[in-house]
Amino acid sequence: MKRQSSLVSESVLIEKLTRRDQQAFQWLYDQYSPALYGVVLRIVRDEDQAADLLQDIFVKIWKNLDAYDASKGRLFTWMLNVARNTAIDSLRAQKTQPTSAIRTDEENVHIVDRQHNTEQPNPDHIGLKEVVSQLRPERKQLIDLIYFGGYTHEEAAEELKLPLGTVKTRIRAALQELKQLFK
Amino acid sequence: MNVTEYIASGILESYVMGAVSDQERREVECLSSIYPDVRQELDHLSVALEQYTQLYSVEPPASVKAKLLAQLDFDQPQETVVRPMPVDLTTGPTYTYRLTWMVAASIGLLVLLFSFYLLSQLRTNQNTLASVRTSNNSLQSEVRKLKDHQAQADQALALLRQPGLRTLELKGNEKAPQGNMLVFWNTQTHQVAVQVQSLPALPADKQYQLWYMVKGKPVDAGVFEASNATELVQRLNRSVDRAEAFAVTVEKRGGSPTPTLSTLLALAPISS
Repeated sequence: MKRQSSLVSESVLIEKLTRRDQQAFQWLYDQYSPALYGVVLRIVRDEDQAADLLQDIFVKIWKNLDAYDASKGRLFTWMLNVARNTAIDSLRAQKTQPTSAIRTDEENVHIVDRQHNTEQPNPDHIGLKEVVSQLRPERKQLIDLIYFGGYTHEEAAEELKLPLGTVKTRIRAALQELKQLFK
Repeated sequence: MNVTEYIASGILESYVMGAVSDQERREVECLSSIYPDVRQELDHLSVALEQYTQLYSVEPPASVKAKLLAQLDFDQPQETVVRPMPVDLTTGPTYTYRLTWMVAASIGLLVLLFSFYLLSQLRTNQNTLASVRTSNNSLQSEVRKLKDHQAQADQALALLRQPGLRTLELKGNEKAPQGNMLVFWNTQTHQVAVQVQSLPALPADKQYQLWYMVKGKPVDAGVFEASNATELVQRLNRSVDRAEAFAVTVEKRGGSPTPTLSTLLALAPISS
């Protein structure tokens, strides 16, 4: 993927970003904004809100770049975490009962998926989609619930009516399977 | 600590999913910086999740980027200096490159055309030179001829100018009806010369011979040719002090002591 080929120059990119280079920022935005926007949209389910949040997220990334430590993790992962945390915080702030709200929306996740895919027929993503379709539905459900829904282990266990141990085991199994699929 | 066991515990998966407590998070970060195996597993899980999230990529509205570019505090002066440079560098050389080629091609074409022009000029000049040479040669031979004629005319004129000259016209008889010639005889210097107007051509072993009559007897006055290319007037090296008449016969080459009367062509008396 394009993103990985640029990893070699990631340190150069960060160095330019800390020098407040506009070109570097534009490159960063063009490269990562669709992925971040997709994550945010999946969490908040509202395009206007997601657009506002995306703006906030890039401001945060821009301002907290000094806090990013390459030795602790990948840049994209760090950016994803900033995006995810911002979106989930926003969701929690506006909804008093986030669990029930997300639970009823489970049906809509797939609708949103379909919409997004028709909007953006990216061949790379279609290929990935096929790969992920091999992922067991109960594992995919758990990933979506925790990653995009912001559920804790306990909340997920309660939601899926499963023992906490089973949830933990299943998260590991799901991620391991994902890792194998993308190898 | 057993790293393998820690990796297998599932804490790393929960960490990348963002489903860990603050204390667990710090623990994972600490251990991953110590143990490369932990870090590697963490990276692999991160990449897998990154890929997974990319499934849901959606192009955000363009307004977001515009707002961000307006909102964020970029290093403007450096940006304005840096930004146009790649543009110049990418368009500049290609433009110069193209221009260089165009100029080179134009010069090449001009040189080619000029060469053709020079070549055609050279050919024209060579042709002109050849024709000039030919006409020059013909002119030179003409001049030579004219000089010869002039010399002959001068000679004849000098002869005619001398005082005491007498001119006799000898006309051919029935053996040479077209025959016609002049005999110049100077009564003071005793020189004699002939100018052949027209006489029949003779075989190579024959020559015309002039005779003069003194007291009814023919005396040799010299031999001459029917036509002489170099001399219009042929001087005969005999001295004639007295003559009553001149006559012409055809004799063997070199002349005869006595005339062969059967070959007498012309005879003209001199009126005293």
